[in-house]
Parts: sequence; structure tokens; C-alpha cells
Amino acid sequence: MGYILNDEGKDLLATVKEFCENEVKEQCKAYDVSGEWPKEIYDKAMEMGLGSLEVPEEYGGIGIDRVTISALYEEMAKADAGFYTTIAASNLGLKPVLIAGTEEQKQWACDILVNGGYGAFCLTEPMAGSDPASCKTTAVKDGDEYVLNGRKCFITNGAVAGFYVVTAATDKALGNKGISAFLIPAGTPGLSAGNEENKMGIRTSNTTDVVLEDVRVPAGAMLGKEGEGFKVAMKTLDMARTFVGCGAVGVAQRCVDEAIAYAKQRVTFGKPIGKFEAIQFMIADMEIKTETARQMVVHSLTLMDKGLDYNKESAIAKCYSGDIAVEVALDAIQILGGYGYSREYPVEKLLRDAKIFQIYEGTNQIQRIVISRAVMGKF
Amino acid sequence: MEILVCVKQVPDDSVKIGLNSSGQPAVDGVTMVANAFDTYALEMAARLKEANEGTITVVAVGPEKAKDALKSCLAVGASKAYLVSEEGLGDMDSLTTGYVLSKAVAKIEELNGAKFDIVFCGKESTDCTTGMVGPVLAERLGVGCVTGIVDISIKDGGISVKQETEDGYNVVETALPAVVTVNKPEYDPRYPTMKSKMAARKIPIDTITAADLGVEADKTVPAVKVTGLSEPPKKQAGVKINEKTFEDTMAKAMEILKEAKVF
Repeated sequence: MGYILNDEGKDLLATVKEFCENEVKEQCKAYDVSGEWPKEIYDKAMEMGLGSLEVPEEYGGIGIDRVTISALYEEMAKADAGFYTTIAASNLGLKPVLIAGTEEQKQWACDILVNGGYGAFCLTEPMAGSDPASCKTTAVKDGDEYVLNGRKCFITNGAVAGFYVVTAATDKALGNKGISAFLIPAGTPGLSAGNEENKMGIRTSNTTDVVLEDVRVPAGAMLGKEGEGFKVAMKTLDMARTFVGCGAVGVAQRCVDEAIAYAKQRVTFGKPIGKFEAIQFMIADMEIKTETARQMVVHSLTLMDKGLDYNKESAIAKCYSGDIAVEVALDAIQILGGYGYSREYPVEKLLRDAKIFQIYEGTNQIQRIVISRAVMGKF
Repeated sequence: MEILVCVKQVPDDSVKIGLNSSGQPAVDGVTMVANAFDTYALEMAARLKEANEGTITVVAVGPEKAKDALKSCLAVGASKAYLVSEEGLGDMDSLTTGYVLSKAVAKIEELNGAKFDIVFCGKESTDCTTGMVGPVLAERLGVGCVTGIVDISIKDGGISVKQETEDGYNVVETALPAVVTVNKPEYDPRYPTMKSKMAARKIPIDTITAADLGVEADKTVPAVKVTGLSEPPKKQAGVKINEKTFEDTMAKAMEILKEAKVF
């Protein structure tokens, strides 16, 4: 394992593993079919404090380091990637608050997570995904208030969040520099969850449109200064990417585990298929990819912890982990053969779950732009 | 209300354990956990405490590593923990364990400055499965004991417990102090929260030695001598009955059962 955890971290990991094994892994199979958001599972997880792992100690969190958080997230993703997504996306919503919020805003948002609530980061729009600067959502100043109008889409926790971080154009003429971010409580008149996506994978997570119709918020709801929203969002994504990487590693690890378990018990030509080099080499390659992806995640988090630049490494961690998760899932299906293609066995779900890691929080094409810019510079 | 829960650290019971080359249980590398029935006892104690206030202390007799099991208990309801070091106690059976625990009860009461109202034990350990430590402890303490309970409540200054039997339940009322041993109740033990898990790591666990307890050497000589260990016999292959019709298959099955004198 790429994580070198202290005794405290190992203890927490054992607890999360036990919970995920007993309460998440098997239970989520049925929810994957129904697409229902498994509230009772999430209630138990929130009760344990799994939803607020990234809340800093000074705001009521448990104050554990990023590598330990990543190890815990991986365990969640191993059990069910949708379960991981709900929790990681909630903490994605917290990041811009911690980056640009006032003390009061930070405490307020952290309290929501510590008390078992969820956050949502609302950046993407129907015509502004990889290019968030072209957002159509507007925030118009009216006295001491802003009035927001627009529609966000593909928002994780859209219908269940206690707070929403919403980006909106305060001055369209300024492009990127005319975007501001707002911290909006659930229940604010005019803010509602729209269409819920019927997704290919991560079906235990809630993904909806978030509709803003004349949503009035006080000027104090702004995160940072007017026009800083794009910068805050980019900083958020820079950081969040590595945590997406650890989710992908979790899915990949599950693929390795399932493939090994099957290869040891499936007998063909008189011996378990795991005795054949063809299968051994496939499993070795799956392990090489999974472990290197994990190491990249840990490296990026270590840079973050040390206060060093991690922009490129975070993009590599996300991009590589997402790509190998899909590759490893395909290999797991191949090893399980016809059973791998059947919904009776767990690996087809893993492929459906793995695919999102190449798409959300910046497609892997966008990650490659980030990486190439970092190494090539502007010319 | 002062509650004591006795906990034993045992090999993870979800792992199949065989014998090693020297004929001993091959437990190397197997995770050690708090005995499942003791975790049920702790959960029951925690619920009782929450309904009636009080404190829960946990105690284990074992090696230094048994502190891990105690730490896990501190994350799910217990607020104090003591380890009775097994050093110098030699091989122990249910009788000697019950005796040592009775001495530990007296010592901890002295340290805490308060008498225990109820001592909870699991109905048995998942490794030795004797189910005797609770009753022996009660005998040594000179208090009443109810075994195999699945529910407990306070009634008229004493307790009312639901004792599971093969046919159903007995409802037993007894005065305090008392020892109870706990079977699997309808609920599962709670999970620790991340916060309680971290807080538990910071609670110091004091070690009590046999000398601290003043155990008498002649009372720690086990009455039970283990003469040998063997694995359960491997399951025999079953008989496959596959007659032409369902009726014939059933008739054949009945015939075999009759021959085996099943009825």
C-alpha cells in the first residue's frame, strides 16, 4: 500500500473498512439497480463522522492529514464509488469556502458537515462544462443584495445539500474576471433541485440540476471579492483533483481484488485460471497501474501538505487514476469472462463506476491541458 | 450507576483457524479483536448507561496487546479501561480467570472509589467457548448472576433482564450488585465515530499486575489441563440422491434417514 499511516490512521482505516464491508458494499448493489439515494446508509455514515473528514480541527473537524483522508476515501470507493462520490463532493463544496470564505462562512459550512449535512459545488452549466468562464448564470447587485438567475447541471448532492457554492457572472464583459462565487444555504427561496440524472454509474450518488430563480442573497454571501469566483473555483478543482484520484484508485483496487478472488477459484483445464501466466500477467499489470496511481495521489497530497506547488501533480493523479481505473475494470471483466459481463457479478458495475473518473471534476482532456501547460509553459 | 464490562481479546472469529505444526492454534497474523459477545455486553451496558446515567469501565486480562481491544471499547461507550497483565499468572482456565477478575473488581473499585452496580460479561468467548467466567466471577464476588441475557432494564432499584432459553425467554429480576452474561441481542453494537475513535486513543489505560491484585498463588492453578488439541473432522461428502422421479427421490431420502435412525 502506498499509504504510510500512523497508528491513529490505521485505526481509523480499520473502522472505515469494517463499516464499508458491513454496511455499504453489499447493500449498494440493490441501490445501483434502483438508482435510489440510500439515505439510511448515508445516515449511518454521517453519524460516524465520515462526511466531515476534511473539516479542519479549528472548525470542529478531527484534524487528520490528507494522506489518511485519502486512504479512508479509497476504502469508501472500494465499497461503492457512488458512496465515495457523495462524501467527496460534499467536501468539494467545502473547499472554496475554506479557500476564500470569512471565518463566519467557514464555521457555518463546517458545522453543516460536522452535523451530518452535505455540501454542493455548483460550477458546471449545460453549456459551460470544461469552459466554466462561459457561464450563463448571473448575479446582479441590487442594493445590499445579489439576485442570482440561471441553471447549473450535473451537481452532486444537488437535492440533498445543506449549502451550495454557486459561481455566477457579476460582470459578463470581464470574462473569467467577471465571475463571483456565493455561499447559499439550502432552502433559500428560488433555489431548487431540478432534473435528476439517471446515470450509467455511481448510481448511489445524487446528481441534479440546481435551478436559481431570482435567488436573493446578501452581499455577505459572496466568497472572497467580486470577480474572484473563477480563481477560487480553479484553486478548488486543483486541490480536489487528487481526491478524485484516490476514488479512482479505490475502484481499481476493488477490480484487482475481485479478479484475484475469481482467478483463484475458477478452474479451467484442470487448474485455477490464476495458475496460468496469461492471467497472472494481467493481474500484475492491474496491480502495477493501481499502485502507481496510488503513489501519484500520495505524492500530490504530500506536496499539498508541505505547502508546495501541486497543480501538475494533482492533474496527473486525477488523470492517470481515472484512466487506469477504466483499464483495470476492463481487465477484471476479461478475467471473469462471461461472468464479468453479467450483472450477477460485481465487476461490470465497477466499469460503469470507473468511467466517471475520466469525466468529472475536469475531463481527462482538460487534465492533459493542465499538465502540458505546466511542462511546456506559454510559447 | 457504575458498570464494569469484562472484555477478552480473541482472534478474529471470521477467520478460519487451524492448528500449526506444533499442534497449537495457528493464530499468527490473525487480527486480534474484542470478543463478539463482550461487544454485545458493552453495547447493552452503553444503552443502559444512556438511559440511566453512569459510567462504564472496561477490564481485560491479557497481554499488553489486549489494550487494543480496550481502546476499541473506549470508542463506543466506556470511559475508563484497565488491563490486568497476564504476566506471572501462567495458564488460565475459567476458574482462575474468574478468580483474577474478582480480585480486579475489588482493585478497580478501590481505585475508582466506587462499587460496581453491575458487571457485564459476554456469555462466552469465541475462542474457548466455556461460558463459565461470568458465573465463576459472580460466585467469587458473592453476588447473583443471570446468564445469556438479551435485554436489561432498571426496576425497583434492581434489574429486570430477559434471559434467552431454548424455548423462549425467562424474565428474571434481581437485586444489585449482580453479574450478567450477554447473548446476542436484537441490535448490533454501534460503530465508533471518527471523533470517539481518536478521543479513545488519548485515554490512558492503566496496567494492573497480579502482585497489585494480591492474588493467592494456589487459586491461580488451573483445574483444567489441556491434554491436546484437534481440528474438527472434515465434513464428509454427502449422499447424492437422484432417482428418476421426485417421488422416488423423496422415498429414497426417507429410507436413508430411517436407516440412520434419524427418526
